[in-house]
Amino acid sequence: MVKPEVIKVIEKTVDVAVIGGGPAGLASAVSAREHGAKNVVIIDRNNWLGGILPQCIHDGFGVEETGTSMTGPEYAEMYIEKAEKQGIDVMKETMVLQFDKKREIVAVNKRGLHKIKTSAIVLAMGCREKTRWNVMIPGDRPSGIYTAGVAQAFINLYNIMPGKNVIILGSGDVGLIMARRLKFEGANVLGVVEILPYASGLPRNVVQCLEDYDIPIFLNHTVTCINGKERVKQVIIAQVDEKMNVISGTEKKIECDTLLLSLGLITENELVNNVGIEIDNTTGGPAVNQYFETTLSGVFACGNCLQVYDTVDVLATDAKKAGKNAAKNLTIKRKDNKIITKVLPGRGVRHVVPQIISEPGKVHLTLRVEKPIESSVLHVIADDKEFLKKRLLWVNPANMIGVDIDIPLDLMTTTQNLEVMLDDF
Amino acid sequence: MISEKNITCVVCPIGCKILVKIDETQLETVEGNKCKKGIEYVKNEVFDPRRMLTTSVLVNGGEWPLVSVKSSKPVPKEKLFSILKEIKKTVVNAPVKSAQIIIKNTANTEINIVATKTVKKS
Amino acid sequence: MKNFQVAVIGGGVIGSAIARGLSKYKLDVAVFEMGCDVASGASKANSGVVHSGINSPNSSLKARFCVEGNKMFQSLANELGFPLQWVGKYVIAKNEEEVRDLERLKKVGMKNNVPGLEIKNGSEVKKKEPNVLCLKALWVPTAGIALPYDFTIALAENAAENNVRFFLETKVTGLKKQKNLFLITTNSGDFQAEVLVNAAGLNCREVVSMIEKPDFQVYPCRGEYLVLDKSYSSLINSMIYPVPVKDLGVLGVHITPTIEGNILLGPSAEFIDDPYDKRNTNETMNNLFLEARKIIPSLPDKAVINAYSGIRCKLAPPESGGWADYRIEESKNIPGFINLLGIESPGLTAAPAIAKEIIKMISHLIELKKKNSYKSIIHRRKRFSDMTAEEKSNLIKKDERWGRIVCRCEHVTEAEVIEALSNPLGARVLSSVKYRCRAGMGRCQGGFCTQHIVRIMEEHFNMDVNDMKLKSLNSNLFYGKTRGNQSD
Repeated sequence: MVKPEVIKVIEKTVDVAVIGGGPAGLASAVSAREHGAKNVVIIDRNNWLGGILPQCIHDGFGVEETGTSMTGPEYAEMYIEKAEKQGIDVMKETMVLQFDKKREIVAVNKRGLHKIKTSAIVLAMGCREKTRWNVMIPGDRPSGIYTAGVAQAFINLYNIMPGKNVIILGSGDVGLIMARRLKFEGANVLGVVEILPYASGLPRNVVQCLEDYDIPIFLNHTVTCINGKERVKQVIIAQVDEKMNVISGTEKKIECDTLLLSLGLITENELVNNVGIEIDNTTGGPAVNQYFETTLSGVFACGNCLQVYDTVDVLATDAKKAGKNAAKNLTIKRKDNKIITKVLPGRGVRHVVPQIISEPGKVHLTLRVEKPIESSVLHVIADDKEFLKKRLLWVNPANMIGVDIDIPLDLMTTTQNLEVMLDDF
Repeated sequence: MISEKNITCVVCPIGCKILVKIDETQLETVEGNKCKKGIEYVKNEVFDPRRMLTTSVLVNGGEWPLVSVKSSKPVPKEKLFSILKEIKKTVVNAPVKSAQIIIKNTANTEINIVATKTVKKS
Repeated sequence: MKNFQVAVIGGGVIGSAIARGLSKYKLDVAVFEMGCDVASGASKANSGVVHSGINSPNSSLKARFCVEGNKMFQSLANELGFPLQWVGKYVIAKNEEEVRDLERLKKVGMKNNVPGLEIKNGSEVKKKEPNVLCLKALWVPTAGIALPYDFTIALAENAAENNVRFFLETKVTGLKKQKNLFLITTNSGDFQAEVLVNAAGLNCREVVSMIEKPDFQVYPCRGEYLVLDKSYSSLINSMIYPVPVKDLGVLGVHITPTIEGNILLGPSAEFIDDPYDKRNTNETMNNLFLEARKIIPSLPDKAVINAYSGIRCKLAPPESGGWADYRIEESKNIPGFINLLGIESPGLTAAPAIAKEIIKMISHLIELKKKNSYKSIIHRRKRFSDMTAEEKSNLIKKDERWGRIVCRCEHVTEAEVIEALSNPLGARVLSSVKYRCRAGMGRCQGGFCTQHIVRIMEEHFNMDVNDMKLKSLNSNLFYGKTRGNQSD
């Protein structure tokens, strides 16, 4: 019997494989190439590069990086052109199914199954949006409930209108941008509901997306119920107290046909679940060292899958470092008695990246605080001794903070944990 | 005739709430700003408020049904909706190149509406 | 075609099981379903449990049909190709009083001929279920799990493939018996049938009242559920139930694994006035979540990825204890009018056995001749995500759309979405995609795939965006285009 020819898997070997072709993937791939990696491939599940950028048609991107305020698509095209010029290989509409400890990636696309062997992997899978059930909003389960990003894709990419009379839950930048976008497209934006006593997006967006159009913002409020057996008919909003508990009797009905949810982002790290990479439970992303390397040698992480960033500029800066290190493949020397120092978030600090310091030298910490404080002091404590003290003004959870520290060798040999905490001043 | 206006400065993330007293064509007083940038900002906001406009235009025969566009410069705030109206009626044929002028001198502002994305023919 | 020999009102699991059974015979059969797809009511909104029969009183129809149906499930799964797992159930007792309940339950079970029942010690249970603490537990090996919507769809599509006519989006609005024929008025036109089967679930009383005075009341009782992400699937291996709550005739809050690896918390039990009030309530969701936190104290909010509810069609009110047996009978006054009333849990399990009984009843009304052309065995394709590398490669070679993944969370391909929308019932709402190929049921709940599915609906099926619905007739997804509408 003659065995029919079956091409099982298309194989290739590269120096750096970047999983995700959004802003982080693009920046890290370009950087990897610039730092000597010859064979770089970007793998993205969509048939376009840029990730979320093509649908972010508003401006404000790349200000720090380029000095000009670009729109999302322009920023993406800038990097896509660089990648093309550098001869970076791109696999579009390709899904990574898994990778293993040997850094062998299995991916699939219309040409078949692929096995990509690589010296370094850069994880840049981005994030997903929090859904209604993640926060368990009670009520019916009608059509017309969209996360802000999905509504944005329908309007900006597909020419489809998701709603006419809209309530937006969450006043982060995405929610505010969508308020204006919907208004421009003829929707009746009835208001933005925000559980905190202040809007969590930039003041620029509060002014240019809400105030400009007289769109009300209901601070200290949340949506307590969604009504509508088939399509959204009405939402009920109510006031909350300082502990974010609903104050009964303050319920208000708002007739609408659409509820847009801008509740926050969740890092996407399903791929690392079975590979034994350590995850930081607060960020939801891999724990990395100052080289953005995860606990699996040769696997780096950057972008929103590592931690949720505020601006693409800061994200790109870190992604470039990850790409550079992937190219140079600086690996943690894996001896059992290897000295590492852990970086832990302490009082007042929600999370810190990197979570591991594997070598002495300059380290740039990025962190988020628990609550807004006008005047505060940041402490970095090395096993009960104060190592660094810094005065900070106007900190708040919506703005990631960067702090530079210089770790000497003797500190590393004596210190297990570096704790980063914040006090009122 | 003196009028008052409350303006949120957007130059930096602090977002100072500034109270302005205006006498016809002059700023009488400016209160609440933490730095000088706030004064420059409110001056523009009061007498010549402008906004960057970003939206989309219908594409004919492209791989995408829309091309994202922006105003080449911030447009006068009061002209925003008439510009949007003009944009809504516009159709452009693929291919469209990023930076291509889609509408020249929109609503007599001498500002152009330009593509911010490349849309190939389908 | 307007004249049928048998008309079934209701395309839930009961109606579909009956239709499938009837499709083995040379008969013209119609199923009228008011929803946009089969399993639109309680048939999709339950725990998917194939019950053993321990929970129903001896000599009840519930017990009889449950035990009989349970025995039929494996061969049905083999024939229709739907997944079925005999994960078993622990009914756990936390104190001595509950242990006595266990012993009572075991006795009832044994009298119902439920095999393999065993009372185990807490330590034995802990070996198999490290997260479960109890004094003792009743181990029920013949309890299994299936996907209730998948099971119903498999039955219905098999019936359709054997020439049963399914009329979706078709509500029966009037019934009349004229000589030996039933005249059926619907929003899709008028029909005739010799035999009429009322499998309308929650609407069973409404159907009866179209033709005679009902001698019963329906008491809707809502059961809410929470669905946990697959990453918590190691929480439990078998179903974990508390001892049944005596008063309401319902099974109490339990933790059930699903075929796909999710965890279900629920159901609750709340008698409600409005039979269409399928909401999820704050109180119940919090209670269900707290129950889960008792087992995993660190369970984060993002673990909850979905919630749903189903309404039980109860024939007894809460004051009387809320328990009533099935009523499966030909109307005394109107021959040929067969009613299935109060088919609540263990309805899914009982479905194959009930269908067998209904077909027997119909055989006394119409002569049933077996079809030679009956296609009994349907080998349903595996999910792409469950295939071997070789299977995947071969399929992609034949049709490249097997290589494009549309649902990132569940690795569902474009080919599977197209297959789902090409179903023989003609169901084309977004949820018909979800229930057939799972796209949209993962942790992002359609955040990634909805746009791609919509594009497939537009391009491959030429659907207009204004006609796209989530699940029911008026659950429109969109309001036209942003540009280029006729009205611009």
